[in-house]
Amino acid sequence: MKVSDLLESRRASWRELEELCARMERWWRRRLDAAAALRFAALYRAVCADLALADAYQLPPGTIQYLHRLVGRAHNQLYRSRPFQRAAWARQLFVDVPQRLFSDNFLRLAFVLFWGPFLLSMWLVHVNPGYAESVVGEGMLNKLADDFAHPPGDRGGMDAIMAGFYVSNNAGIGLRCFAFGLFLGVGGIFMTIYNAGVLGAVFGHMSTLPQQDNFYSFVTAHGPFELTAIVLCAAAGMRLGFSMIDTRGWTRLASLRKAGEETMPVAAAAVILFVLAAMIEGFISPAPLPYEVKALTAGLSAAMLLFYFFVLGYPRGA
Amino acid sequence: MKDRLGRVKSKAKEQSGSNLLRPVRRQIMDLMSHPNGQLDSRIEIVTPENIALEYRVAGPFRRLPAYLIDLVICGLAGTVALAALTLLFTLLGLPEVGWGLSLVLWFVLNWFYGGVFETFWNGQTPGKRIMAIRVLSIDGRPINGLQAVLRNVLRAADAQPIAFYVVGLVAAAANRRFQRLGDLVCGTMVVVEEPGLFRGVVRISEPAALALAAQIPAGFQASRSLARALATYVQRRGQLLLARRIEIARHVAGPLRDRFQLAPNTDLDQLLCGLYHRTFIAERPDAAAGMGASPFADYGHPPPRNREAVDR
Repeated sequence: MKVSDLLESRRASWRELEELCARMERWWRRRLDAAAALRFAALYRAVCADLALADAYQLPPGTIQYLHRLVGRAHNQLYRSRPFQRAAWARQLFVDVPQRLFSDNFLRLAFVLFWGPFLLSMWLVHVNPGYAESVVGEGMLNKLADDFAHPPGDRGGMDAIMAGFYVSNNAGIGLRCFAFGLFLGVGGIFMTIYNAGVLGAVFGHMSTLPQQDNFYSFVTAHGPFELTAIVLCAAAGMRLGFSMIDTRGWTRLASLRKAGEETMPVAAAAVILFVLAAMIEGFISPAPLPYEVKALTAGLSAAMLLFYFFVLGYPRGA
Repeated sequence: MKDRLGRVKSKAKEQSGSNLLRPVRRQIMDLMSHPNGQLDSRIEIVTPENIALEYRVAGPFRRLPAYLIDLVICGLAGTVALAALTLLFTLLGLPEVGWGLSLVLWFVLNWFYGGVFETFWNGQTPGKRIMAIRVLSIDGRPINGLQAVLRNVLRAADAQPIAFYVVGLVAAAANRRFQRLGDLVCGTMVVVEEPGLFRGVVRISEPAALALAAQIPAGFQASRSLARALATYVQRRGQLLLARRIEIARHVAGPLRDRFQLAPNTDLDQLLCGLYHRTFIAERPDAAAGMGASPFADYGHPPPRNREAVDR
């Protein structure tokens, strides 16, 4: 049999497969009916066989290249990405993540790296006048002092805007902190210590001013969620970065890939915490409520976190 | 020198299987010693069904336009949604809710636009679709939601410094599949997926070539590599001047002319065309046996499973 005849005889079915692929690649109405789907499968198997035998048939290289592309194109239509499975994600979020975090050394490290510099910075403000100015900047400190000059009151409907702003700003910082962990963990460490140092200086400075009641009245309610979220992001980032250094017997790439799979749900959990914190920060923290209500909010959110980390996270058998 | 380099290389292989941190020079040597001699962008994948197929990996000149298109779409969608939301909530008397929701939407677009599209559109965003590229797992399977979201969140690291994508470019240049850091972590790659042009057999119509084809001994059979070279030559000769054709054809056709005992003034270009005709177009006595007997050659109808079941 001649090669040209062979190509001629196959060409029709290749073209048909191409048409089916084009139909499935459209922007809308992409589903094939049952008959067309069966036909697609048969044609796909056939073109795979043709590709496998192309060398034995001594087909021209141009044709082989065409077959590679056609098979690749059809393969990508036959196998589709699986969308999120809600049950699997819920399981990740409420079972796997707390279990993993309970024994996660990087979370402990991130905890220390955050609270250590935070407390240190607070202490330095008290023993070392001028420290807060040099860390945070005088302009920022004056602005903070102005902002908290009055007790929380009606802000003319700014609440919703600020809640939106906190979601986009804070969760963005958290995700960036996670992603920068990729630089061998150094990015995450830097951002954690930097944030902790600045926050500590602000807290220390504000506690020396007469406005400190207004300040604490604002920060108390959303503190637990927000600070936990940033520590979680830092820990996830560090874990990602260190997985390239401490590979535990895997190749570096495989270790990195495994860490990516494990840390992404942690970052997702942190984003959820950021959103919760933003809601509290937008609507409860600036509201003219008695301090007890805000303290109660903080207590409740802290209790929820403790439940999450210690009850859901407590190691179970197997 | 070569010996020493060779030893260095094998040592490095023992130490780590990672492509990421190995110096670039060794990387290049690895590429060149790769069995497929891979200096171009082709990647071979063997699927679980044992189908070996090749993909072309997408480089920056496809991915950058795709990214820019996505940015524009993001910007437009964000602006339209902002206008719609603020208008709607202003009419409802709550303008600040509209602004707040717009900020949330901006965050979602910024961080999850790519991840959501790649999940639900099988590894493509609108920009990628326009540029005919697709994200796949490195083993050729489609990506899942986790991979799609993670590789787009890690874009923040690849985009450093600021938004110049220097980190991503360097990482991509240092590995075979052009993966940026996000791709390395997720085990994904971006491949080109365009409908290829069908290239069949070139018809030879020159009488001189056909006459030469008849003079080639009946027992002669082109080897596979020779057949491949012939096909490539004939496909391209239309773009070459006569002198250039002879210059290229000489290397193969010269020895063949002597072997076939043809006249010394035989046109070498025509001789290759004749040989091509013999190999691809004329009847090949030997090959008739297996050819065309593909196990799936009968494409006519899907197997009539239902009818059979009823019959039983």
